[in-house]
Amino acid sequence: MAHDFLSIYGAKAAEYLLAIGYLLLFIPFWRYVQGARPKEAVVRAGAAAHAAAGAARTAFPGRAAGATAPSPTAGWFQVPAGVYLHPGHTWARLEADGLVSVGIDDFAHKLVGAAALELPELGTRVAQGEPALEVGDDERKVPMLSPLDGSVVAVNAAAREHPEAIDEPYGRGWLFKVKPSRLAANLRQLLEGAPARRFLEDAGEAIAFRMSPQLATVLQDGGTPIHGIARALAGDDWDQLARQHFLA
Amino acid sequence: MASARMQVAAAPQGFGGFVKEKVLLGMSVKDYVRSCCTPVNAVAAVILAVGLPLLAYRFYAGLGATTNLSQTAPWGLWIGFDMMTGIVLAAGGFTIGASVQIFGLKEYHAIERPAILTAFLGYVMAVIGLIADLGRPWNMAFFPFNYGTASALFEVAWCVLCYTSVLFLEFTLPFFEWAGWARAAAFMKKLLIALTVLSVMFSTMHQSALGSLFLLAPTKLHPLWYTPFIFIFFFISAIVAGISMVVVESSISHRVFHRQLEGQPVDADKLILGLGKAGAVVMFAYFFLKLQGVVDGHAWGYLATGYGALFLVEVLGFILLPSLLFAYGARNGKVKLVQFAGLLGVLGIVLNRLNVSVVAFNWQLPSAQRYVPHWMEIWVSVTLVTIGVLAFRWIVNRMPILREDPRFPGAH
Amino acid sequence: MRIGRRGFVKLAVVGAGAAGVSAATASPQGTVEGDDAPGVLVDTTLCLGCRACEAACAETNGLPPPPADDAVMASRRDTTESAFTVVNRTVGEDGKPVFAKKQCMHCQAPGCASACPVRAMDKLPSGPVVWDGTNCLGCRYCMIACPFDIPKYEYGSWNPRVRKCTFCADRQAKGLKPACTEVCPSGALTFGRRGELLEEAKRRIYTSAGKYSSHVYGEHEAGGTSFLYITAPDVDLGALAFRTDVPKKPIPELVQGALGAPPFVMTLWPPLLMGLYAFSKRREGGSQEGGHGEKSGKEDPHG
Repeated sequence: MAHDFLSIYGAKAAEYLLAIGYLLLFIPFWRYVQGARPKEAVVRAGAAAHAAAGAARTAFPGRAAGATAPSPTAGWFQVPAGVYLHPGHTWARLEADGLVSVGIDDFAHKLVGAAALELPELGTRVAQGEPALEVGDDERKVPMLSPLDGSVVAVNAAAREHPEAIDEPYGRGWLFKVKPSRLAANLRQLLEGAPARRFLEDAGEAIAFRMSPQLATVLQDGGTPIHGIARALAGDDWDQLARQHFLA
Repeated sequence: MASARMQVAAAPQGFGGFVKEKVLLGMSVKDYVRSCCTPVNAVAAVILAVGLPLLAYRFYAGLGATTNLSQTAPWGLWIGFDMMTGIVLAAGGFTIGASVQIFGLKEYHAIERPAILTAFLGYVMAVIGLIADLGRPWNMAFFPFNYGTASALFEVAWCVLCYTSVLFLEFTLPFFEWAGWARAAAFMKKLLIALTVLSVMFSTMHQSALGSLFLLAPTKLHPLWYTPFIFIFFFISAIVAGISMVVVESSISHRVFHRQLEGQPVDADKLILGLGKAGAVVMFAYFFLKLQGVVDGHAWGYLATGYGALFLVEVLGFILLPSLLFAYGARNGKVKLVQFAGLLGVLGIVLNRLNVSVVAFNWQLPSAQRYVPHWMEIWVSVTLVTIGVLAFRWIVNRMPILREDPRFPGAH
Repeated sequence: MRIGRRGFVKLAVVGAGAAGVSAATASPQGTVEGDDAPGVLVDTTLCLGCRACEAACAETNGLPPPPADDAVMASRRDTTESAFTVVNRTVGEDGKPVFAKKQCMHCQAPGCASACPVRAMDKLPSGPVVWDGTNCLGCRYCMIACPFDIPKYEYGSWNPRVRKCTFCADRQAKGLKPACTEVCPSGALTFGRRGELLEEAKRRIYTSAGKYSSHVYGEHEAGGTSFLYITAPDVDLGALAFRTDVPKKPIPELVQGALGAPPFVMTLWPPLLMGLYAFSKRREGGSQEGGHGEKSGKEDPHG
């Protein structure tokens, strides 16, 4: 389709102007589209709970890129600054004397509620990712993993004797102290600060999905979960749920 | 709350048990047939009752008796709609597949399998439509060896052949899971990333080649649609079609198959909004591409004509408008708006393909010689769509497409 | 008589060698190109409209005889499945009738042959563009490609053929002239080598001032065709059923750019996509460092 030569110049000018115009429009358009307020979708939790709780985690949709609203489970489980979390929901904190305090985190604390604690003996060697303590009751016990390598040099007797009285999992609720052997290497595998908080949020959402729809609307109001969630959710099979989360 | 352990189905007793369990959904033959008597199925039955004999009649009596194709309109509805539109609307397979497997957007896993199934069935129906349209379809068996490599149609045919095979392989994964063949399923799963790369590659080639088909008819395709870059337009519009079609298909599926989705923590609304975001941006770019095509071809003068009005309807009403609706809906969480925009996007792509292949083609001919589809052509096209929908429903009701098979957790 | 294409090419080469026709000066691959290709000069100022060419064509190709009554020329005629050539009539400037024969132009770079995915429509090395039904799919893409709207399809048949002028390829293979050029009584049709015919056309144009339009239809249309038409000045070729919007660029060239793309896509897409995959996996693995590794390990969709 021939057109006369001179009209090329006009057409090219129009093309480039159009392209520049498009680029100028594209920037605000992109920003407009990306500034999406994520729909506060009511979690469509199922009525029938899967015993394969792993399904809840594997089907977890993940965070939308650019979401600005905090997750409804953000305030459920806390971790203070300076405390390092292990994915098995135990924590480690560096003390001034070079030792490391170890305990179970807020999530594990609330999940299991008041439960008997089986703590390691003095002098026991513990290894990161290996079972070091147990929580549970007379019938079932769930092991939990040590967050670092080392040897146990102190044990919180009060926690062992009266676990139900300890409400501060990171403070008075410390369980034992460890003399670390590979502290720097261990710390690289632990979470602290924002990643730790996000980890707890994710754990909270995984729990939320298992709840009935009624509880899910509690979610929207920002209600906080009660102690002993595992038992409330899974009844006699609470230890299965706990094991899933504690990676034991 | 019952701590139910998922009941893994007891091993079926022999083949009869297998049929009852897997095919008849656990019902007896009588119950199953009774369950099939629904109004929707009645409509489908009527469509097939006329359409299937029509299809047979076409092979008996030839194209002249069943179509309005002519010496001046060699391509009609079966090429323009069944083949070209069918193939472009099946582009969701590679767009979502690539998003999940290659770009790592895991959250779209939930709609990946339905998109691939839609694509697979879409291509099968497109190929059937093609077989109906070809004058000598039996020669299709030999075409790969005839090396008509100067032809864009050769490339289309080869790439469609390869891509349909890739789609078929991707579909075998849920099929193997349904049949319980664990080792085969595990093997297929390992191939998935390679298949996805191939699917993007083949799709790029044949989606664009379908546009290249029209490069050699500059005097027959209206200047508002003809551009040397038509193959780029067809590829970008394939992405637009893929996104829009997945929005529409998943919206319908989630409503129709909602029972399968109960208990799944899949936030379908969030996924649809995410697709809306992607669709908004791609459609926005595609709109400007179309304008560039007009300017580059010096064709702005035609905008004032009747064809110009058609072009403006296609571009403003079915590309720009849904782009803006996608943007607004995605930003403000309005799922229904995004779904509506997806529908507009699909219709826009259908309109574009029909415009290029039929409406704006041979536009200079006097209206007496212009092509209007025969009612039989329309009915056969509707029949093929119906078969595709029925097959989709049959498969989704049985195989782990929208839900996970409990024997293969984590695969969905 | 239908011969297979291969046997046909053999005949063409042997026949050409024997008869010492233009194939003797063929290019190294045995193809006849450009100036040496066979061609026909159609001088419409000499055409009487007797339509003997139609009758000869029908007889040679086993087609039904053309309508006897010349009144058919009152309306626009086009080739059909059973008429490979037709004569159209219009009125010249001076009120006198002008006739022109329409048939396949046998382009030097035929769009139909390049379009055919199975090479059922193909250009013979000796020049003519012919259809061989052995592999034809019936896709009708050749009809889309032809800028002159020539190929016609047998929609009414269950085994349809594509029909058009064959340039009497089998006659040419035997050293004979195409049937139409053989019977033309007025000398309007001259068969010969394209280069020589083009020169003859120009010679007629420039030595008979004002008798001809200076445009040789077929010289540049579609990159050059075997049939060359010269007419009186101001004759409306459109009224003679010729397309006047045929591009000068050969049709196959219009597709070459896009056709060059697939090898690039096949080369570039895999590393590009696998790179994106590796990047996205690394980014995901990075944010999961220190604890999420186990969680994502269960659900890793990356196969």
